[in-house]
Amino acid sequence: MTPAARSGVALVCLLGWLTLPVRLDAMNAQAGGDDIRLELSPRICMLGSRDRQCDTRVQASWHASHEQSLCLVIVDRPEVKKCWERYSEGTYTIELVFSTDLTFQLKDFELQQVLASEAIRVIREAIQYRHKRRQPWNVFD
Amino acid sequence: MWPKFLIGVVALGAAVLLPGAAMAADSCTEPSPDCVAVAHWNFSVSLGAGVRTNPLVGGENIPLVVIPQFSYYGKRFFLDDLDLGFTLAENDANAFNLVASPGYDRVYFYRSDLQNIFVNPLSGGAVGAGGGGATTTTPPGSGTGTGPVPPTTPPAVRFPARARHITYLAGPEWTFKYAGLTGQVDVLHEITAQNHGNEVRAAISVPLVDAHGTLAATVGITWNSASIVNYYYGASNVYTGGSALDPFIKLGYTLPLRGKWRFNAFAQYERLADAIANSPIVAEHHVVTTFVGALYAF
Repeated sequence: MTPAARSGVALVCLLGWLTLPVRLDAMNAQAGGDDIRLELSPRICMLGSRDRQCDTRVQASWHASHEQSLCLVIVDRPEVKKCWERYSEGTYTIELVFSTDLTFQLKDFELQQVLASEAIRVIREAIQYRHKRRQPWNVFD
Repeated sequence: MWPKFLIGVVALGAAVLLPGAAMAADSCTEPSPDCVAVAHWNFSVSLGAGVRTNPLVGGENIPLVVIPQFSYYGKRFFLDDLDLGFTLAENDANAFNLVASPGYDRVYFYRSDLQNIFVNPLSGGAVGAGGGGATTTTPPGSGTGTGPVPPTTPPAVRFPARARHITYLAGPEWTFKYAGLTGQVDVLHEITAQNHGNEVRAAISVPLVDAHGTLAATVGITWNSASIVNYYYGASNVYTGGSALDPFIKLGYTLPLRGKWRFNAFAQYERLADAIANSPIVAEHHVVTTFVGALYAF
């Protein structure tokens, strides 16, 4: 998908936190039982009939009960990585283009353990498609 | 003769493909240049600079600056600007439709014609002498369609002014796509009881460059029966033309831009048949349409 094609896609984002303030209270037993809460905004992206993918600004915020050293990554997006050293909270905002669910993870500094995880869901409007009329005779086709 | 033959070809094609092809549009699962959502309106507007020449005597060229377009596709029914259609059968390669489309030559006589707003295809003929028909002078006896006569030749008679009403033509349409080639054949008959004429529209388009932008060449023809030619360009006892075959060639380039914008440029040259060009109210033997601009799809 070309950048222009991506940018040509209309986006309808449902601000899920207004109606569905879901939080992933990802208490990770493997990490020692620390409470780390990761929140994403928006949490849902709804694609309309003419939309191919979401193109939106995503804000990821995390809070912990005490200082942590961790990194925020996105599954299958190795180019995205934001780390904090001895912080109890953090916020990261990024422009993203995606067409399937996008999973954010908070990991330890070694990127070995997942401390918290949350996803932006992509919902597609149930649309039926058909072939567009081909009109080479039309001067504007 | 020719329209009947083509109607037969289109009907035969539909008969062959209909049993297995009825709305087999499986490859359309998401929006793309070839696919549209069912039961949704589509609106776009082109902004730019362009012109369609007017071959009528004293006819003013038609500027192309703001060109709105719209369409709606139901499961079988579609509305495509001023065209109405019903899809009898289609698959990935072929589509057979019944369509109704306006007669286009009226655009040269009436600047207010909707087809000068929702710009559509070229066809033989020429705007300028709007408001009821062009007038010019021509000598007696020149109405045989044998060639133009200098308007200064005495004695001259007045080419009678008359209205060219909005007409609609209807008939079968076959469109196809094979190996990158896109084709269209329409065989139409006038259904609004103005001239009872026939018209054939055919074109084939081939992509020359198909990368981020697409450069495509199109060749095609418009054939009008004598009754359509004379409805627009003839006058009793002054000029009577025969059927007209108008070939055209078009070169078009489109390039996706940021967001919902798309760059669009094209140039089309249409050669008018002698039966049209020889009419005393026609001054040019061709129609040229050019446009450079950007299209925004809502």
